[in-house]
Amino acid sequence: MKQDRSKNENHKFTRIFKSGDKTNHQRTSSGLGERLILYGLIAIFLFITFSPIVWIFSTSLKQNQEAMSFPPKLIPEDPTLENFIFVLTDPTLVQSLLNSFIVSIGSTLLSVTVSALGGYAFARFEFKGKNMIISIILGLFMIPVVINIVPLYIMLADLGLLNSLFALMLTFQILIIPLNILLLKSYFETIPQDLEESALLDGCSRLGVLRRITIPLSMPGFAIAAVLSFRFAWNEFILAVVLANHPDSTVFQVALYQFISLYRIDWGYLSAGITIAIIPVLVLMLSFQKNMVRGLTLGAIRG
Amino acid sequence: MVFILSSAFLISVIFTGLVNSLYAQKEQVTLTAIVAEPKERWDVLFDNASKKLNENHPDMDIQIDYRVLPYDATRTQILTSMAGRTPIDLISVDQIWLGEFAEGGFLTDLTQNATSWGREGDWYPVNWEGGKYEDKIYGIWAWTDVRALWYWKDLLRDAGVDPRTLETWNGYLSAAQKLNDALGQQGIQGSHLVGASHSPDMWYPYLWMLGGDILEERSGHPTKGTYWFPAYNSTEGVQSLEFIKRQVDAGIKPQVNHFWGQEFADKKFAMMLEGSWLLGTFPREQWAGLNQSVGMIPMFPVPNEGNKSATMMGGWVLSIPETSENKDLSWELLTLLVDPEILTTMLEKEGYLPTQKPIAEGSYSQSLNATIPYYSDMISMIPVGHSRPNIPEYPQISDNIREAIDGVYFGGKDPGQALQESAVKTAEVLGW
Amino acid sequence: MAQISKLQPYLFLAPSFAILLVFLIFPLSWNIYIALHDVSLITLLKEWEYVGLENFVTLFDDPNFYTSLKVTLMFVGGSVALQFGMGILMAIVLNQQIRGSGVYRAILIIPWTISAVIAAFSFKFILDDNFGILNFILNQLGVESVGWLSDPNIVIWSLVMANMWYGTPFTLLFLTAGLLSINPSLYEAARIDGASKMRSLFHITLPLLKPFMIINLILITMWSVNLFDIQLIMTGGGPLFSSTTASLYMYRQAFEFGLLSKGAAAGIILILINLTVAVIYVKFLRR
Repeated sequence: MKQDRSKNENHKFTRIFKSGDKTNHQRTSSGLGERLILYGLIAIFLFITFSPIVWIFSTSLKQNQEAMSFPPKLIPEDPTLENFIFVLTDPTLVQSLLNSFIVSIGSTLLSVTVSALGGYAFARFEFKGKNMIISIILGLFMIPVVINIVPLYIMLADLGLLNSLFALMLTFQILIIPLNILLLKSYFETIPQDLEESALLDGCSRLGVLRRITIPLSMPGFAIAAVLSFRFAWNEFILAVVLANHPDSTVFQVALYQFISLYRIDWGYLSAGITIAIIPVLVLMLSFQKNMVRGLTLGAIRG
Repeated sequence: MVFILSSAFLISVIFTGLVNSLYAQKEQVTLTAIVAEPKERWDVLFDNASKKLNENHPDMDIQIDYRVLPYDATRTQILTSMAGRTPIDLISVDQIWLGEFAEGGFLTDLTQNATSWGREGDWYPVNWEGGKYEDKIYGIWAWTDVRALWYWKDLLRDAGVDPRTLETWNGYLSAAQKLNDALGQQGIQGSHLVGASHSPDMWYPYLWMLGGDILEERSGHPTKGTYWFPAYNSTEGVQSLEFIKRQVDAGIKPQVNHFWGQEFADKKFAMMLEGSWLLGTFPREQWAGLNQSVGMIPMFPVPNEGNKSATMMGGWVLSIPETSENKDLSWELLTLLVDPEILTTMLEKEGYLPTQKPIAEGSYSQSLNATIPYYSDMISMIPVGHSRPNIPEYPQISDNIREAIDGVYFGGKDPGQALQESAVKTAEVLGW
Repeated sequence: MAQISKLQPYLFLAPSFAILLVFLIFPLSWNIYIALHDVSLITLLKEWEYVGLENFVTLFDDPNFYTSLKVTLMFVGGSVALQFGMGILMAIVLNQQIRGSGVYRAILIIPWTISAVIAAFSFKFILDDNFGILNFILNQLGVESVGWLSDPNIVIWSLVMANMWYGTPFTLLFLTAGLLSINPSLYEAARIDGASKMRSLFHITLPLLKPFMIINLILITMWSVNLFDIQLIMTGGGPLFSSTTASLYMYRQAFEFGLLSKGAAAGIILILINLTVAVIYVKFLRR
């Protein structure tokens, strides 16, 4: 009985989401001139965004000697996969790639979980100091993380957590939890409260409600939170290089730095590494894109 | 089933215990080190040194856990590990950081070890002094580099420039102009000028060859009695910076990006004042015939023919942090790393220069001479090599000097005025 | 039941706050502490002398710090204007009915998936005065080389350009979400009333997008204020401090010169700048 009801509600909501999604675009027939302008703008955007990336990608296919040559050539004379093979067979780099995955996935799971709990508290409860705490969270974005390196190091050293992937997962949270809490808070606010209340009346605990109703209904919000978390963890450099530089705990962005030494930059290897580093986040972005956009939509952030 | 599992468990416990007790006879020691990139040089060094160290201590199983970090990160890492009091056994210290780290109490005083070691006489005095701060030894300068003038023989020939004319200031300037005129069409620049943040390093040689210096000791310091005072704004300083200005006026462009010799190897410049590491940008198999295509003059251009030149020496010092828990063993490792037998192998591979006479001139020099192009010419520069002051304030002073040079490069400033303004700031940094 | 639920919100907040407290707020208080003491590389392991506000005084005595504030203003102003302008334009254009807009959006997001350090290195080479591809192309087109990284008047705009490339995708993503939250029936109604597209853009879209714009502006402003790796790698702050932002100034004081207290003081000033900017945004845009 109870389950049936929530199932029904569930259906209703997915329907609303879907229909909403389809009609969201501004639907007006546009003239040829307007189209031309639009496509012209898109072409300019793509050009600005894409040209450096094309350059990196083309360099990654060049022999190291050619990568530095002047005048530069856009199309490699003798394209090679050598750079990619080198990066993907070097044991330290492979290990670091693995570390990056572990850290990024771990910190994504952690931040989404704790941010969901926090966001839920803001969305569903009235309590003392609520507004102040929200302002504090927004204020946390203002702290330049780099000055915290020394105290963070001292603290992790005292805790014996230096050079551990676990410590990186914990530390990366400071980059992402504030954003995720704000995001998920707004998201939860869009879910009708009566739905949860009826479940509560049926004897579900708060956590049970969260697990059975709120989370399934806000999956899109979780998708974007996850992508953001993954991206921040995957890209972080300065914290990672100071707090975990043991060969066993190096992450990929740090390991890539070995191609940038004082005396020379191995541009071919480096660009192959960059290309590889783009892929996971890109795949994640693409696979979540529909969800992500819808996620932010319903989770309209009200500052 | 339960029985099988539990007996398997029991057996494995006994087995691990046995293996452990076998190993327990050997004392396990791990030495940690933080060193600066590039990595290959350390791989060679630590590989050989750890073999030797384990041979010396058959009762021990010594592991060396070394982290190779980017230059900036090496400094940050040393700073943070000292703040966190992490035990570290060996670090590579850029020669200019030594005073700062010593003054901060990061480094172990090695004076006693070095005295009983008794190899001081093997070092060139200037290099041995580089490991000292306030008369105590805090590190051993392991290898160095000198800056010299390199040129492409064919390009100079095409432009009709006689390499011998490069030795004087005027000759250098007119050669640069000639080369620019002749090669500009091909996208090749005549000469190079470092415009990156370490531009002072390429200016000091001119200052030194005129008899000037960066700092001088002066009495009457408000808190320290006798202490350092800026001397680089002297007439020698102005004169040498004026020469830099003349280079800019002659069309030599300051290069904001420094590719450490790669730009020369790629023939983007016909000549270049660059460190001995430039050789490392050429593939090893080309070394043997390199003197056919690339020429080298072991000097910075001098004002007039016959004047004495000067150069700057950089390089890395090996030190033992105060936090090390295995100081004796670390010292032994350090001595092995700078042991001619082990060090020479690395120098040969990377093209760095020794700080020790037995390697530079003695029995080991033969193999180096045979493999490294222009090796003996580079060694001949060591006597005119100077090193930068290693006092704690040096990084800030260097930044002030850079400001003066940048002012001349990019702001059209008068050298005298630029140096004067910079020296005022430096005096303040030094507490005057 | 009522008793428990009073505590409940705090329990829900506990895990995230525990992490933030330990990893963010504790280090911050350490920084505030050392900003009031004399801590440098030299005194780090010795006793820290209490100096009150002296670090702030020396900071404001340093002409280079003022320069850095001016540079910050240009860098942040330029970056935010361009990131926001480009981002909102992209978001609106891609929100029109265009075939393949999803794919375009995915491509436009790529720069954000590269780390700032790597983006900075890439631009350093693209913009190199002599060997960069940009000047090469300009030369091919018959235009003189530009001193992207060496002309003190231009260099800051090169950094702004790099930061625009790197940071715009976030605004695109964020504002796209805002656009999609607008009820399409509003446009329908406007169309029936005979309103032009431009009119509905200014009278429906932008007002409804405002809450998103505020948050978005606050975030990209703070990220730009705090950003230092792009400047550090591309120019090292030079030439002549023309690209030393306050954040880079802070980094160099603390890590290059080892003056940890001065760096911490500069960091606190940065936080105050951020705070002021956030208050201004909320005040002026929320109306």
